[in-house]
Amino acid sequence: MELFNKTAVELSSMLKNKEISSVDLTNSVFDRIEKVEGKVDAYVTLNKENALLKAQEIDAKIANGEELHPLAGIPIGIKDNISTKGLRTTCSSKMLENYVPPFNATVMDKIDNAGMVVTGKLNMDEFAMGSSTENSYFKKTKNPFDETRIPGGSSGGSAAAVAASEAIVTLGSDTGGSIRQPASYCGVVGLKPTYGTVSRFGLVAFASSLDQIGPIGKCVEDVAMLQSLICGYDKMDATSAYREYPDFKANLSSDVKGLKIGLPKEYFGDGIDEYVKVSVMNAVKELEKNGAEIREISLPSTDYALSSYYIISSAEASSNLARYDGVKYGFRAENYDNLIDMYEKTRSEGFGDEVKRRIMLGTFVLSSGFYDAYYKKAKLLQRRISAEFSESFKDIDVIATPTVPSTAFKIGENIGDPLKMYATDVCTVTINIAGLPAMSIPCGYDNAGLPIGLQLIGDKFSEQKLLNTAYAYEKLFGGFKLPTL
Amino acid sequence: MNIDIKHIAKLSRLHIEDEKLSKFEADMQNIVDMVEKLPDINEELNLDESNAMTLREDKAVLNKYTRQELMQNAQSVKAGCLVVPKTVE
Repeated sequence: MELFNKTAVELSSMLKNKEISSVDLTNSVFDRIEKVEGKVDAYVTLNKENALLKAQEIDAKIANGEELHPLAGIPIGIKDNISTKGLRTTCSSKMLENYVPPFNATVMDKIDNAGMVVTGKLNMDEFAMGSSTENSYFKKTKNPFDETRIPGGSSGGSAAAVAASEAIVTLGSDTGGSIRQPASYCGVVGLKPTYGTVSRFGLVAFASSLDQIGPIGKCVEDVAMLQSLICGYDKMDATSAYREYPDFKANLSSDVKGLKIGLPKEYFGDGIDEYVKVSVMNAVKELEKNGAEIREISLPSTDYALSSYYIISSAEASSNLARYDGVKYGFRAENYDNLIDMYEKTRSEGFGDEVKRRIMLGTFVLSSGFYDAYYKKAKLLQRRISAEFSESFKDIDVIATPTVPSTAFKIGENIGDPLKMYATDVCTVTINIAGLPAMSIPCGYDNAGLPIGLQLIGDKFSEQKLLNTAYAYEKLFGGFKLPTL
Repeated sequence: MNIDIKHIAKLSRLHIEDEKLSKFEADMQNIVDMVEKLPDINEELNLDESNAMTLREDKAVLNKYTRQELMQNAQSVKAGCLVVPKTVE
């Protein structure tokens, strides 16, 4: 098997045993990028020169017998809303087309210190607003399983790059499903960690109370290993949780005997395609055969989650994106009459339509006279949704649902209808609203060969339990299948 | 409910071209119709102390970045200052 098709776990031991060098591996991944990037369009910016320098540095350390992190020398792609010092970070927006961060996000310091090799920056929906990566200013990423279809979003580049083996692992960010939904559409494993687990310092803010960085990989072990590297308390993030984390990979166990799995009936309703329901139910039955106990549960406020999500996330986005004024950094319009005119023209020319829609929706729900009817109500529902989850987790360990109601749709199919696009997030937004961890793992393929995702949801800080359940299922299902590209 | 898109755009410091106005109006109306389906909840919002943030000390960080590094992404810089259109006559 080609090096680029292998998992980080396999490559890590090959590097350690000196069967391969990081330079070989990095070259293999860049050869792959050269071959398939024209079809997939996952990257906004490539980092080949620096990647090879880093790989050489790691090879020298291995030759010297230095003790290195297990992920040292492994190529990783980074979503383009995570600040990388000296490497352009655009958020796939014209607004930040030429922005080069003078500092690293905390996760990037961790990745650099571990000796990982950064391949480049991955395409996304502009400022992470979208569910198909079609809102990128630069390009449309394609689903490696069918190039006429979307890879999902907003971390579409991150999920497509892993599926197409254009990176061994990647980082994405998840505000309403942006890691899990594309992971589901591209048949890979993605984890949205508990809010506060991974530092948001250096993650370009969309909705600060919901945003969370997380790992994407071909297998559960890769995701567990990368999550252990990026998590941890950070004083630079005021919402960072002060606690210790286990070594997720070392503690992986596929024993599900006695594991109580909840099936919320609200996630298996009319809006979910039949083949998705069947596939997810088959996955759950497999776990049951291996000793897990299945319980039907109810999360009655689920129906209100999508609306609450769009109110809260847009309100926060309208404040967070006020910083793009053309003064300190980013795009500035060429012709203007005065300061206000400069702001308006800069923002109107620099932002795409979806970003403008969300800024305006956020401005509207926070404006005088409407705050109580919208924002306050959404915050009250957020509390209710969280409480329903907390109550459920008194009796069960893990909740299983579909990640997305259907498989990947055609490029252009939903772009003219924001509500149809928003509806693809109906199974994932609740988790961000409640601040919980959740992951998507492949659990089947539809008739056209498109991947279907199983979503596993856990109580706060129960990542190990989630990863164990996913690990158990992955062994039963057989794991990631390579697309034909 | 009628949404005054022009007013919202002004508050957002955005300018919406006339030909896009009706599309934005319709989209916003649909989104607002969706969120209006939320039920009334007769509860009060209290501060959630378990989610209280730990704020950083209000102290200037010196020598971490140079002025030049921090201004490298600005469109217009003169004598170490950001240049903007005249704001005071």
